[in-house]
Amino acid sequence: MTYFLIDLLAMGMITSIMTIGLNMQYGFAGILNFTFYTFVGVGAYVTAVVTMGTPSGYGSESYILHWSLPWPIGLLIAGFVCALLGLAMIMVTIRRLRSDYLAIVTVSIGFIIWNLINNYIPLFDGGNGLFGIPYIAGGANMSNVQYSMMMGLIGLVVLVGALWLSRRIANSPYGRVLRAIREDEVIAESFEKPVRRARISIFMVGCFMAGVSGGLLAYYLTSWNPQGFLPIESFILMAALIIGGTGSNWGAIVGAFVIVELLTEISRYIPTFGSEATVGAVRAILIGLMLILFLMFRPEGIVPERPERWYRTGRVPGSEPSGLVGAIKRREAALWPSRTRQPLA
Amino acid sequence: MLEAIGFGLVTAAVVAMAAVGLSLQVSVTNFINFAYGDFMTFGAYVAYAANSAGLNFFAAVAVGGVATALLGVLANLTVFRPFVRRKARVITLLISTIGLSFIVQNLIVIIWGTGAERYTVSIGNAHHVGPFLWTTGDMVIMVTAFVLLLGLHLMLRYTRFGKSLRATSNNPDLALASGIDTGRVVNYTWLIAGFFAAVAGVALAMELNTLRPVLGFNELFVVFGAIILGGIGRPYGAMLGALIIGILTEVSGAYLNPAYKGSIAFAVVVILLLVRPQGLLAAKGKSA
Repeated sequence: MTYFLIDLLAMGMITSIMTIGLNMQYGFAGILNFTFYTFVGVGAYVTAVVTMGTPSGYGSESYILHWSLPWPIGLLIAGFVCALLGLAMIMVTIRRLRSDYLAIVTVSIGFIIWNLINNYIPLFDGGNGLFGIPYIAGGANMSNVQYSMMMGLIGLVVLVGALWLSRRIANSPYGRVLRAIREDEVIAESFEKPVRRARISIFMVGCFMAGVSGGLLAYYLTSWNPQGFLPIESFILMAALIIGGTGSNWGAIVGAFVIVELLTEISRYIPTFGSEATVGAVRAILIGLMLILFLMFRPEGIVPERPERWYRTGRVPGSEPSGLVGAIKRREAALWPSRTRQPLA
Repeated sequence: MLEAIGFGLVTAAVVAMAAVGLSLQVSVTNFINFAYGDFMTFGAYVAYAANSAGLNFFAAVAVGGVATALLGVLANLTVFRPFVRRKARVITLLISTIGLSFIVQNLIVIIWGTGAERYTVSIGNAHHVGPFLWTTGDMVIMVTAFVLLLGLHLMLRYTRFGKSLRATSNNPDLALASGIDTGRVVNYTWLIAGFFAAVAGVALAMELNTLRPVLGFNELFVVFGAIILGGIGRPYGAMLGALIIGILTEVSGAYLNPAYKGSIAFAVVVILLLVRPQGLLAAKGKSA
């Protein structure tokens, strides 16, 4: 029981990094990426091949690179490789395509990548996948529970970093441009906002997150194969984000924990009423139903996106006079509220 | 090479039936349906159930077709119409189809299990027809596809309903203003799309000689490839796209490692998008 709980926390941290990355793409900029998990998968492989050195004692695994770099570097490399892969993909899909058709094309490209990895053995050992990815930070001598705990802590550190970055982006002028693109691309463009550049760059940042989270997954599971990143995983992540709250960082985290992790783990504790497949099917039906019901009755999700500060307070950032003049104006506003513009409701 | 083209024609027939149904639905409702693959699976399973209950194979296919057509209308009335009424964004509808896909696919798992099933009819012996090598089943599939597609063409072209369907697809508001009951047209479109999905699903299961709950979901992306290639929302484009994809897959499978033949189709789609983002036969206002 305690082990499952700790495992759930550790996996939840890693999944939250994914949903935060997905939230940057879909929640901030409105780019529907239905193959997000492909980047997670590639990130896991890249991390593995740059840290696990030459194959030893696990039969005849064949894979590229054979590097044995320190583990944090492996995560970074995975992030950058996925960002570059994301760049290649968005350059293909961004061309004048309506956003929902773009979504289909992302699925197709994800399928090509999956098929290539599954069949081209010299790359990442094909369908067999990689085994013996090293435990990190002395994890080889730890018990399962201790390793889960440590991965949970490392996951938490990375998650806090991701959250910080995500908030910085959301509250910056760049974040406002992204939201403008999400709401209406044409208007954003007519205000001379760099629509194309902003979409490409946020897509790359999201893919970077996917790569890093995939790397953490590889270290945690210590093995990885193509069955680990089937197309359905991307859809589940998308459902988690939407139920949690599109555009909201906390929503992304809630979605990751509740939809992806809790629903998986909880099925271990409900009394079995059929085969294992039936339990999984019930879980998927539950996700599908929740997705549709949330879209219908609470499209903003469990934790809604917070409106911008100027909308809550009536103050437009940058338009407030600073220094002495600002102080006088604020004093004036406090003394004679009727003379000054009222905050929006 | 010629034999590969023969196999390609069979694949194209299967993909064309699925792609035309989906394309018709997309052209009228204006959103992509990720549950369409699971409609195919559903139809194939209902036909399987009817067939194993002792019904004649063709009658069983018809039962599957009708059941899936009704499933399509049910989905429209319970899920999609409330969204359309609220003027939901296209993306919202698209994501709700993913939810529907989860539900349908896993209901199939609960009802029929995850095991592989087979129809009681065999695909028959191989015959040499000209330069091609086809089994009896292959020929039945191709004839069925031809008849269905021709029937759809005649209906779209020469009946009053076909005219109102094309009008609704072209401009729903104008169609409504001209006295067309667009709500009814949308319902009928779901009926037709569901029927095509079911027949395509049965044909696919016969081709693969196995029936599994992920049958349609895995094929969905090939079908998407065909409709993107032909131009989204263009039923005739979907036929062309299916033909290209079918032949390309089989011919490339004959020369390259067959494991990659699925990827070839997608690679062609991606390359085409670089050159011509709107597809081969573009519909105005549907793809840009």
